[in-house]
Amino acid sequence: MLLSVEGVSKHFGGLTALDEVSLSVEAGQIFGLIGPNGSGKTTLVNIISGFLRPNGGRIVFDGQPIQGLEPYQIARRGLCRTFQITLNPARMTVMENMLLGPRTQRGESIWRAAFEPWAVRKDEAAHLERAWKLLEMVNLHHHADEYAGSLSGGQKKLLALVQILMAGPRLILLDEPVAGVNPRLIEDIVQLILRLKRDGQNFLIVEHNMQVVRQLCDAICVLDMGRVLAQGAPEEVLARDDVLRAYIAAGGQVGEQAG
Amino acid sequence: MIQIVIDSLIRASELALLAVGLTMVYDVLRFPSFAHVEFGTVGAFIALAVASLAPDHAWAVVVGATVAVIVSGLLGIGADRLIFSRLRQASPIILMIASFGLGIAMRFTVRAIWGPDAHGYPLPLQRPWLVLGGRITPTAVIIIAATLVCMLAFHLLLNHTRLGVAMRATADNAQLSEASGIYTERIIRLVWFIGCGFAALGGVMLGLATQIDPNMGFSIMLPVFAAAILGGIGNPYGAVVGACVLGFAETIGLSINWAPLLHWAGVTAGYLFIPTGYKQAISFVILILILLVRPQGLLKSRVS
Amino acid sequence: MIAFLVYLFTIIGIYGLMSLSLSLQYGTTGLVNLGEVGFFMVGAYVSAIMVMLGGLPIGVGLLGAIAAGAVFGVLMALPIGDLRQDYWAIVTLAAAEIARLIFLNTNLGSPYVGASYGVAGIPAPWQQHFSTAAYGYVYLGLVAVCVACAYALVRWVGRTPYGRLLKAIRESDEVALALGKDVRRARIWAMALGGGIAGLAGGLFAHFNGFIGPDYFMPLETFLVWAMVILGGSGNHLGALVGTAVIEAIYNSTRFLDISQAHASLVASLRMVLIGVLIILVILYLPRGLVPEGRRRYGGSRAAQR
Repeated sequence: MLLSVEGVSKHFGGLTALDEVSLSVEAGQIFGLIGPNGSGKTTLVNIISGFLRPNGGRIVFDGQPIQGLEPYQIARRGLCRTFQITLNPARMTVMENMLLGPRTQRGESIWRAAFEPWAVRKDEAAHLERAWKLLEMVNLHHHADEYAGSLSGGQKKLLALVQILMAGPRLILLDEPVAGVNPRLIEDIVQLILRLKRDGQNFLIVEHNMQVVRQLCDAICVLDMGRVLAQGAPEEVLARDDVLRAYIAAGGQVGEQAG
Repeated sequence: MIQIVIDSLIRASELALLAVGLTMVYDVLRFPSFAHVEFGTVGAFIALAVASLAPDHAWAVVVGATVAVIVSGLLGIGADRLIFSRLRQASPIILMIASFGLGIAMRFTVRAIWGPDAHGYPLPLQRPWLVLGGRITPTAVIIIAATLVCMLAFHLLLNHTRLGVAMRATADNAQLSEASGIYTERIIRLVWFIGCGFAALGGVMLGLATQIDPNMGFSIMLPVFAAAILGGIGNPYGAVVGACVLGFAETIGLSINWAPLLHWAGVTAGYLFIPTGYKQAISFVILILILLVRPQGLLKSRVS
Repeated sequence: MIAFLVYLFTIIGIYGLMSLSLSLQYGTTGLVNLGEVGFFMVGAYVSAIMVMLGGLPIGVGLLGAIAAGAVFGVLMALPIGDLRQDYWAIVTLAAAEIARLIFLNTNLGSPYVGASYGVAGIPAPWQQHFSTAAYGYVYLGLVAVCVACAYALVRWVGRTPYGRLLKAIRESDEVALALGKDVRRARIWAMALGGGIAGLAGGLFAHFNGFIGPDYFMPLETFLVWAMVILGGSGNHLGALVGTAVIEAIYNSTRFLDISQAHASLVASLRMVLIGVLIILVILYLPRGLVPEGRRRYGGSRAAQR
């Protein structure tokens, strides 16, 4: 078992955002976390990745407990995440963003950059090579020297995805990878994720778009008002009455596009 | 003992009005205005100029203060129209830098006009009254009373007028209030007017309590920030409470014999007082501690 | 006239070091340090104390100034590592003021040294070998070498992966954290580097001016350095030096004019008004500053591989 969330709870003042949430993600599958707006998905992602501390419960990744760790420590262990609103540093170029990706870089310590310049240069060259390949895979290589801030919304999402691939994590938490992306690009992203999965990359995806969820996910978990409503294979879970009701109650649709 | 209370209240009054104005501007405009205290300096000097036309008459100072408030308020609106309104989308840091450019320009304009020396309001010499064992000058009484009256008026404005309600709504959510038909730009202008008007009045109080010189605003800037942040940014009552806390902290901090406390840490001394030179440091230390430990302030402030 | 220019360029060099320090902190890393003068002051006092009270050579004093600035930077950064920018600004301002009050209230050695009296008679290196006229060039040369080294240092930092990390942190922490970077540590090192450079500026100033006192280290100095960096273009170290030259030229410009004593104060005030207005104009109309930030291009490397 790759990631195990056990009884995680989170309160904000009087508001209970998460109530004893448990789920487990196996290696080799794409796990989907869905639920209507306000169900606590982003809170859970923030807690798993260390940006928030839970009030109770445990999170075990790759056999080690990670609740309470700093976000960068969790990322170093192989669990990296993207953000719903793409936060790629806008005043850095696309290539600089990519080179930021690899997790522990020798050159990011000022001492080692000073005293091991040749090793750092070798690392940089290797990273550069990988970065070009990834950028070509998503057709962003022509924009390598443009500022990330000048990319379109969809391109920014792609950049965030390949940037995190540079980090080479065991598990990638994708927070709404296709939100706000035009439909043609959505299909490209889906195919890309499937390809990466075939190559062994694990994903936990938070998504609203049900079509994407059905295409990608091997297992899903539905959150509603901070509680786990259902877990299992998409076909079964999405056919359940209580799941449909939760979405209608929140004003969403379980059919094609949800938003 | 009573003297400590009196001195603390005077100090609190020096800070309170400036802090209230600052907290409003910080909350609605979403950046710390380093020009704010300079409106106080400008106000103090305008009041001085007016009062000097009829020296030795207390009412001249009152008229001067009134003129100062109005002029300063209009200057605040002017500053917004010329500078800050063009930066509505900019980050708080950019606004902050623009505000300290403005602050420098204002402070040295005052210095250019009136020179670097210190002045005092042309009032007749005053004999302090003896109140419950402590000394207080009539001026100081007026300062404290005026501050209270202003706070009361402001409270009425905020809670019992449509304008006040609109101001609070704008502070909570600019986009929402714009959408619901309250003209945000108008409210922002009002906030600048009132905020800078209060600053001017605060400057006059400070000038009455201490002295009037071009650096007066700048010298009090950090304690004013401390008071506003202590009380929670956006909470005008909090700003007053913050001013009182600082007033008492500074006065009491200097009067306490810290030796017994340090005895526990192994320092033996008959008595140990904080030197008066460090009086301001007390505010600064409180400011740093608050920002590190509880930046939302001691009182309930609005969630930002 | 020549003597004045030598003096002017020396001052530009000393303030240029502070601008480079701030350019690294704010331009590269996004740290809004309003207590920059604190590094300057600590460097000046430590060098003066080490040389005058400790009898150490001036070179050691300057090294001490660098170390003191770096330590002050670390001390400032440690507790406030994750604070949001506007709070960071206020805290650094307060920290520098507290430090100044400490120096204002502390005697150094004897009762008339230190505190509000300041420290006088600070020696300058190699002074005995040169005439007064020639010595100006010597010190200018010393400062120029320091500026060149500092400039090379900050440019180098910008090209390392560490520098890239600082630029990433400039806008927000989240992406860097999610990619496994220790953001706090990176910030603390940035403050240490910036502090060291500004500390050196302080040491150079102390030995140049011969006298230092708390009045030399008011928050206004920090605001002047900010004006220099903003005018020149934050994010561009060369721009910081250009901004320094412009602001210092304005600040010292009126020495050319023949002004009577009565007007001296007025002119001094107007100069500062001009600088304040300049800051506002730059923010409104030239937000990137005079020299825009350059970018590292990798397109050529791809062509080379093909």
